[in-house]
Amino acid sequence: MKMTELLIVFGLLAGLASGQQVRWNSEKLAAKASDSVDVTLDGPMLRLATKFLSSEDGDERQVKKLVAGLKGIYVKSFEFKNTGEYTAADVESFRAQVRGPGWDRIVGVHSTEEGENVEVYIKSDDGEGKKISGLAIIAAEPKELTLVNIVGPIDLDTLSDLGGHFGIPEIEADKKK
Amino acid sequence: MNLEDELRAALRCKEPPPDFAARVMARVAAAPARPAGRAWVRWTAALAASVVLAAGALEYRHYEGERAKEQVLLAVRIAATKLNKAHRKIQMLNHRSNS
Repeated sequence: MKMTELLIVFGLLAGLASGQQVRWNSEKLAAKASDSVDVTLDGPMLRLATKFLSSEDGDERQVKKLVAGLKGIYVKSFEFKNTGEYTAADVESFRAQVRGPGWDRIVGVHSTEEGENVEVYIKSDDGEGKKISGLAIIAAEPKELTLVNIVGPIDLDTLSDLGGHFGIPEIEADKKK
Repeated sequence: MNLEDELRAALRCKEPPPDFAARVMARVAAAPARPAGRAWVRWTAALAASVVLAAGALEYRHYEGERAKEQVLLAVRIAATKLNKAHRKIQMLNHRSNS
């Protein structure tokens, strides 16, 4: 076996061993997008960011708490000028990455009226979904496609609570629970 | 004389005069020694350069940290928006099926 092949095999094994980071290959879409966001924050950068998040500011304190134990945050969001610039096959290729063992789809919303699809996947270590070790969101809208992958123990309630911050309207009905 | 001959003449090896080495050594011996008092200038310059480098590294680290913080806030904002969008849709569907 050649050295390059050995390195590739080693890289793949390391990727599998590292856990839950989803490898979304989206260069093709990035080239077509009119606007794109690409956030790649791995362990050291997350730890550095945590040091810069304020413990006094309410929003930042909550975010600091949320990301404290995380191993990585990866977000890719693409905005297109026209509809149909990405295909169902593109979305399916991203979906295929979260069909592996340990991943479960907990939410799948499809709106024909608005042409929106939001799917939320979690990866759990115990296989029962009690101990979440990863989160993936695939949100497809006619002119926008967003992929979110959070690696590490994520608290969905806290993340959802942050929906009431940053100018995002909070879901009142849910808070009455 | 053509150019080639001129060049050859100009670049021809010549033996130095017999006292050449002695004159060079005499000049070296006669040259004034570098004043010892200048050492502190060199040390100060080195220290100043180190301070500037350290300050630059610190500033860059601060810039990286602020950038990482902004990226975390952006990523969480996007994730929370999408999660809530799904949440809202589910509630809307529940509301429709209940009414």
